[in-house]
Amino acid sequence: MRRRRWLNAFLGTSAGAMVASILYPVVRYLVPPELPEAPTTRALAAREDELRPNQGRLFRFGSRPGLLLRLPDGSYRAYDGTCTHLNCTVQYRPDLRQIWCACHNGYYDVGGRNVSGPPPRPLDAWEVHVANGEVVVTRKA
Amino acid sequence: MGATLLVLLLAAPVQEPPRPAPTPPSSCLQCHAELGGTAAETVARLGEDIHGQKGLSCHDCHGGNPAVGHDGDIDAAHDPARGWREHPTRLQVPQFCARCHADAEYMKRFNPHTRIDQLSEYRTSVHGQKNAAGDTRTAVCVDCHGVHGIRAVADARSSVHPTHLADTCARCHTDEKLMGQYGLPTVQYADYKNSVHAHALYEKGDLGAPTCNDCHGSHGAVPPGVGSVANVCGSCHGREASLFRETEQKKGLDLDLCIQCMVCHDNHAVKAPTPDMLGVGPRSTCVGCHPPGEPLYAAAERMGAGLQRLRTGLDHARELLERAERAGVEVSEDQFALQQAQDQVIEARVLVHSFDEERFQANVDEGVTVVEAGLAAGRRAFGELRERRLGLGVSLIVIVAVIAGLVLKVREIEAKP
Amino acid sequence: MSGLPAARAWAWLDERAGLSALGELARHKRVPLHRHSLWYYLGGMALFLFSIQVGTGILLLLYYRGSAGEAFESVQFIMAKVPFGWLIRSLHSWSANVLMFVVFAHMFSTFFLKSYRRPRELTWFTGMGLLGLMLAFGFSGYLLPWNTLAFFATQVGTEVAGSVPVVGRFILRLLRGGDQVTGGTLTRFYGIHVAVLPALTTVVLGLHLVLVQKHGMSVPPGVEEESRREGRAPRTLPFVPSFLLRDAIGWCAALGVLAALAALFPWELGTKADPFAAAPAGIRPEWYFGFMFQTLKMLPGHVLGVEGELLGIAAFTVGALVWLVAPLLDRRPGHPASRAFTVLGWAVLAYIVAFTVLMYVRN
Repeated sequence: MRRRRWLNAFLGTSAGAMVASILYPVVRYLVPPELPEAPTTRALAAREDELRPNQGRLFRFGSRPGLLLRLPDGSYRAYDGTCTHLNCTVQYRPDLRQIWCACHNGYYDVGGRNVSGPPPRPLDAWEVHVANGEVVVTRKA
Repeated sequence: MGATLLVLLLAAPVQEPPRPAPTPPSSCLQCHAELGGTAAETVARLGEDIHGQKGLSCHDCHGGNPAVGHDGDIDAAHDPARGWREHPTRLQVPQFCARCHADAEYMKRFNPHTRIDQLSEYRTSVHGQKNAAGDTRTAVCVDCHGVHGIRAVADARSSVHPTHLADTCARCHTDEKLMGQYGLPTVQYADYKNSVHAHALYEKGDLGAPTCNDCHGSHGAVPPGVGSVANVCGSCHGREASLFRETEQKKGLDLDLCIQCMVCHDNHAVKAPTPDMLGVGPRSTCVGCHPPGEPLYAAAERMGAGLQRLRTGLDHARELLERAERAGVEVSEDQFALQQAQDQVIEARVLVHSFDEERFQANVDEGVTVVEAGLAAGRRAFGELRERRLGLGVSLIVIVAVIAGLVLKVREIEAKP
Repeated sequence: MSGLPAARAWAWLDERAGLSALGELARHKRVPLHRHSLWYYLGGMALFLFSIQVGTGILLLLYYRGSAGEAFESVQFIMAKVPFGWLIRSLHSWSANVLMFVVFAHMFSTFFLKSYRRPRELTWFTGMGLLGLMLAFGFSGYLLPWNTLAFFATQVGTEVAGSVPVVGRFILRLLRGGDQVTGGTLTRFYGIHVAVLPALTTVVLGLHLVLVQKHGMSVPPGVEEESRREGRAPRTLPFVPSFLLRDAIGWCAALGVLAALAALFPWELGTKADPFAAAPAGIRPEWYFGFMFQTLKMLPGHVLGVEGELLGIAAFTVGALVWLVAPLLDRRPGHPASRAFTVLGWAVLAYIVAFTVLMYVRN
């Protein structure tokens, strides 16, 4: 009888442990991660107060680098940060108020249009939305 | 009153504006076509000619009277009183063309921003100087642009379009007999065709890539002065050139001796630069002027080593993350962050032209920081793999315990009483 | 009412749902015990693995997106960002493969043990239906991560379906949602995988299980013979608790194996499908389609004026039909003529194994 009780206790405990070890990953899986979805059409570029006017910053959008600009008037612009010349990553030059590609001296204006140097095409523009203290960039899939 | 006016208006006969008298066909075209042979050749391609397309014809350049001579009266057509200028000699050609092309008023009619300084430029060139001095072998306008079938420069079929210009120059500049008379080499064309510029122009179709005239000038063709090579290359490679000029100013170097860009990069046979050009290795371009023992040799060695460290570090980090990915850990974000190190490598290779070791190393160090972050991410990924195995081990122990319990339970239930 | 809360709850449910009838059924169900009894576990194992598929599949559904622009990224997201997402996904992929193996083993074991004989023909038919459904699950699910291998494997697979005479073109367009494999194909396969096939499986599986309960476990002819000669019924085991506990041991072991596979050999993600890129070398379908794929590859272009591939498809169709109606053909299981079917079974098994291996060796 005692043996039976021990066996039942042992089986019960180990079965319980097994159930727990199955439930734990499932519950953790169900709780949404910090980023609620894969950033394919939507990416969080910055917090609202992170960029000063006339400042730019690179962010990741899926597999592409993106460039987020805050213009002197406080509004935001976002572009695909891949230079249309030979795919280097561009950057914002506050001193020139232009987007610059360091590789071969390509320049784009703040509207993304190629204005000087080798780039053959303007930068792809993305949409920017400011909501809930976040600056979110979207594009069509 | 109004009615009277109306009646008068309606009664007035309607008249058509006078039509201009029809122009008779040009006698130049008619006779020359009929004559056949070389005479016909001169007018055969007038339709392709930019001059012909703009409405100009034989008499606009050669003078004479195209309205007469249809009956074969050559003297009436070739009328000196009407400005007949026969076949200009090679020494006369530049002035012949410049009669219109250097006349701002005249050229403005056809193109408001066309240039009118070709002749004056030409006179500064080696071709122009020799021509002025009486040399009939040197190039004149028609040698490059053609005659009687001149296409606009922007026309892709023109002999001076970027895709054909080198071949046009090569007509003379690969002729050993001709060039020998001036003591000039003939390897430039072959060298150029092997260069990265030619590859970009001919194979990648990049019309922004340079051909002969982009560095030597079109009409004012001279080899770039030894002190201005950097300016020539710098007209496209702006960053490298401005960094280079900063060096000259900051360090007060007399880099003329080094013929600037050409020291490391050659002039015609420009190849894509490789990282091993920096440093002290077998393909280094530094040791030519900075042999071992010289103080700058050590600097070159350090810079080469710095770049190498960044590049191998980057390769190592990439490989580590790739292995982690294959092992099942998702590392795409860390791989993306490594892209910045790649940008730093490109930046470093540009900064070589500043010859500023401190600045170069600062950039390299930035890149190395990114690489280190990538390596750390890789190590983290393998750490996660170990964690997974630990978790697996724990759950397997639990499962084995349950199985053991079940087996014992079965035995207990089925034990014979 | 008096008694323990558990007993009162049971009584309440029983009055309304008639649970005690089920309890009776369970209590009376017995499983024959003989030298071939081990094979009895395969059916339950298949059911267990299928439940794992349903469970992990539902969990994946919460994060997966079925469009060409987002599918790959969403799976990447599950693998990288969702806690234990890598585990759920790898479990789903591994369990699918183990399930296919178990289903084949279950089919062959019932074939060799002649469990399909009267009165269990319907069980065999529904079982074959389930095999087809599982293959469809595998084929449709394989495309969902939208990676290069899956894209081209789907292209090849639907191409083969399209080469069936008369209806081939229609079937191809129906499967692909158009003429080519596109994002439309992905969405279609997604709907098939998570809605159509589960609905069909529920019905067919339900039938299959009801029939199994009705007829009980089949005893192989040889064992029946023996017990007839010895003049006693074969030994049996009570289903509850003996057989069920043994089932549970098997299921726990399977769980352990799957967990180990998922943790030690995580399922690869590959590269995102590019419809405009050239097909990489060595495209092949999953292993359970391997023998058919390899056979079609090895058939000559033309045989006696007929296209080799058509001949292959025709042969498979005829073969599958013969296999399906085996219970109706093999009507005298004790008779020596029945041995022909056993031999046929071994030949088919050998063929499948050989050509599956061949596919891996050749690619």
